[in-house]
Order: sequence, then structure tokens, then C-alpha cells
Amino acid sequence: MDFQGIHDRLQAIQAPGLQGADEPREPDPENKKDKGRFGDPFVLVDAKLLPAFLQVCRDDERLNMDLVADFTATDPAKDDENLWINVQLLSIGQKHRLAIKCMIPKANAVMPTSVPVHRSCQWHEREAAEMYGITFEGHPDPRHILLPDDWVGFPMRKDYEFPEEYHGISCK
Amino acid sequence: MTSTAQETHEPTITRSDEEVVLDSGEREFMFDVRTQDMEVNFGPQHPATHGVMRILMRADGEVCTGAQPHLGYLHRCAEKIGENVEWLQYLPYTDRYDYLAAMNNNLGYSMAVEKLMGVEIPRRALMIRTICAELNRIGSHLIAFGTYGLDLGAFTPFLYMFREREWMMALFEKICGARLTYSYIRIGGVFNDAPPGWLSEVERFCDTFEEKWKEYCDLLMVNHIFVKRTADVGVIPVDMALDFGLTGPMLRGSGVDFDLRKDMPYELYDEIWKDKAFEIPVGTGEKGTLGDCWDRVYVRVMEMMESIKIVRWCLAAIEPGPVIADIPKTLRVPPGEAYVGIENPRGELGHYVVSDGGKVGVRVRVRGPSFVNLAVLEAILPGALIADAIAIIGSTDIVVGETDR
Repeated sequence: MDFQGIHDRLQAIQAPGLQGADEPREPDPENKKDKGRFGDPFVLVDAKLLPAFLQVCRDDERLNMDLVADFTATDPAKDDENLWINVQLLSIGQKHRLAIKCMIPKANAVMPTSVPVHRSCQWHEREAAEMYGITFEGHPDPRHILLPDDWVGFPMRKDYEFPEEYHGISCK
Repeated sequence: MTSTAQETHEPTITRSDEEVVLDSGEREFMFDVRTQDMEVNFGPQHPATHGVMRILMRADGEVCTGAQPHLGYLHRCAEKIGENVEWLQYLPYTDRYDYLAAMNNNLGYSMAVEKLMGVEIPRRALMIRTICAELNRIGSHLIAFGTYGLDLGAFTPFLYMFREREWMMALFEKICGARLTYSYIRIGGVFNDAPPGWLSEVERFCDTFEEKWKEYCDLLMVNHIFVKRTADVGVIPVDMALDFGLTGPMLRGSGVDFDLRKDMPYELYDEIWKDKAFEIPVGTGEKGTLGDCWDRVYVRVMEMMESIKIVRWCLAAIEPGPVIADIPKTLRVPPGEAYVGIENPRGELGHYVVSDGGKVGVRVRVRGPSFVNLAVLEAILPGALIADAIAIIGSTDIVVGETDR
């Protein structure tokens, strides 16, 4: 299925948390400041309902999204209020993909874990948690994964300040 | 181990109720040996971890009862660097996550940026890209297969495989000057055209490799000891493979016929697949259970031959022409976001890139197949013998540079 087909199907089965779709568009010729948007289309999903959404996508016969290819977060800009959660779903049987984006506020970056639905999210969520300071409620193993256990701060946030020293080693 | 623990958990040997009568009439008593659970550090410097990785294993005698991979020893902040350097400057960093398949990494990143830019790549560049990616796949599988034999005690095949890989690296050295970190596939095409005589040398390599490949199969794949060590070991059922998001040979070893080159083709693979020039080898459970270590290795070994077929298709179809699209030196990538997943030797290498229209990326996310494939160890190591743990870890074929990025 193409993106339009997937989106129609999601609307037809009333997928929980579906908020809309964003498709690429050409720049507006009349508005010189508008540069358009390129790349892939994606669906916007409520972060609180993401696990339920993933489950519906997995269990629906026609969507059949049996694999979470990627699960990550993005900090779009320093002054942006939100972080993005980006999920790439892949269907082995139907051979299609779906990109999902959720918004969660930086001030209160808490969302439920998707591990009960897809175990592949376990390590991805651990990485997103340590890099962006997102709390995944109900995560079975919320330790650091790539960073040392005593690391301070969330390095992938745009407002992250690089440490000056680590255990007596100068980082300047 | 504390002394109190030892006192309370004395190793006990009890005779089990079961007695086995052998064919010769002798009676053998099965002893049920209970020992204390012990935590063993496997790595970070153990040669079978193929890099700097540590697995904290809990063992009851010879049986592993729990495993917890600890990574991050090789973390080099690749994604953070991606947000601080220009689009083209990031290319050399892509070489360094899966350093055994640097051409494929270059390809994945270039394709993601090209998707945002909407550039059309010249046909000759696509051909050279495919040849290089497939040659690199052969080189990567040679290491995977060779070191796997080494893990299991077969030293000789490893040396043979390095001999062929040496030629492959010499070919790359001729085309781009580097032996390991190529940065040859660029955004918009490839860095420069193949030197005179290079394509015919690739053809000679293919001829030689086909003969040598048969030797490897005789040396290892049907070797009785090798089969005993790998068949029925580390079985990954299909549901588990999908739940853990496994891709590449790990998924195909479990019998799932899915390859991005065939099912979601990119670049020239659509054409090559429609020409029936290659096949997708899938695990069959020939020597044991479907999804065991032997099946995963089998998929990799067969894939090398398929890569040779793809290279031959390209060699037959390649024509002179430009090798890079006309793109500016300082790239300004149009705003938007794109995800491109390609079939790396280890599985799906995904690049998720976000641009705001500037010279520097907002986000460069790398979905490394090794990182995802490694997570399955937590599920399949418990219950295996310690000696089999080496076989299982080797069969996942991880590159620690990629798990840690």
C-alpha cells in the first residue's frame, strides 16, 4: 500500500491516537519565504497512545506492520517546545513502510513504553531516554545503554552544554 | 561470590532417579549436578566479542542462565557529530560505524540526503555503486564467516578468506585510494570514475572467487565438527525475530524471505531482480532446526554467490557516462525529513535525516542493524551452554563500531 492507502485504512479502523498526516509539498511560488517540505510523508500520533497505535498497526490484517525498523527521538530546535518521537514501521508481509511522528513537550517528556508491543523498542527507548531525557513509563530496564551510568545531562538535546571535565579528565 | 553464599549453596551432587541402560548392557547413572549461580564477565576484551563489548553472563555450571549485553565502549557520538558538520563533511563518519561495509554505509547516507534533494543519479554511477556495495558485501561476509570459524576453532579458513578479502580491498584501493574507510560513494554519485582496467579486474576477481567459494563450503559448511557446533544451537523462531526487529541474514536465517533489495528495491536492484539475475537465500533448517546458527551462516555464504551474480550483471550492462550529478560543493539540503533503509550485509541500515534548509543537518539518525540484532542475545543465550554462547554471539555477526556508533 502507498501512504494514502495506509492513511485511509488507519482512519477506517479508527486507529487510536491518530492526529493527522503530513505530506511533502512544493514551495509556494507566491510566498518567497516558503521553502516547501521534501522527503517522506508521515502520520502524527498522540504520544500517550503510541503503544496502542503500534499494536493496532501490527494486528490489522491489511496494515500488518510486524516490525519496528527504527524508534528514535529528535530535538528540532533549541527554542522549540517539543521533542519528536520518530518511529519507522515496516511490514514484511505487505512490503510497505509507515513513518510516525509524535510530539512530546520538553518540559514534561513522559510517555508510555512500547516494549510490551514490540520488544525491539527496548534498546531504542533506552537510547532515546539517555540522549533526550525522555521517561518511558513502564520500561522494564531503564538503564543507560551507550553512555556511562553516571553521565549528567542529555547530550542530544540542542541546549546541551558540553562538560568541562569527566572524572578529573579535562574535556576542553 | 561471598563466603556466606558458598556455605548456603554448597554444590550438591544427587543421583537422579533416571538410569539409562546402554545398548551394551552397561548401566549409566545420570547425575544431576547443582552448583551455585555465578556471574561471569564475557568481554570487554574477549576475542569472540569481535570488538569491545561486554556481556554479563550468569552461569549455573556450564549452562548460561542469563545474559545482559553492556555496550557503549566504542561510542563516538556519530549522531551528535551529524548535527554539527556540513552534509558532505559527515560522509567520512559513516565509514566508521560498520567499518567492514563502509561502501554500504556511504550508500545509505548518500541515498537519504539525495532523497531530500531529489537529485537524479547518472546511470554509470548507479552501476559502480552497486558493484562496490556488492563487493563490499562479499568482503564483509568473508570476515563474518572466517571469524566465525575462528570462534569455533577452525583457524585455516580464516586465513583463506583474508586472502580473497585482500584482493577485494586492493580493488577498492585502486578505485578510491583507501582500503577500509572509502568515502567513495558521494551524495550525487561516486567520487571518480573507475580507473582503466578496473572493471576487467573485477571480472577476474569474480571468476577466481567462484572457485574459492566452493572450497569454503567444503572446508566449513559441511564440516562435521562445524555442523555439530552450529546446528540446533541458538534457534530464533520467526515470531521472536520479528518481535526483536531483526533484519538481514538474521531474519532470513529464520526462514523469512525478505530482502530490501528484492522487496523494496532501491537504485538498480529493481531492474536486476526483474532480470532474475539473483536469488535470495533463506534458511531451511537443513542440518538442524530452522533458525539455528548454521542457517544464519548458510544464508551469508550463499549470499556471497548472489552478490557475484549482481556484480556480473552490472559488468555486462555498464556503459560510459558521467559518474556524478551536478551538485554544488556546499550543499544546502531542502527542508524536510526522509528515512532510507538499505540492505547492509548485517541487515537494514537506516538513515533518518532532517533538514531545515541549511548547510548543517538538524538530525542524522543511524539505525544500525548490529545494534538491533544484538538485543536478541538477551533472549536466546539463557539455556545455552557457555561453549555454545560463543557460537551464538558469532552467528549474530555484530560489528561493535555500529552497535555503539
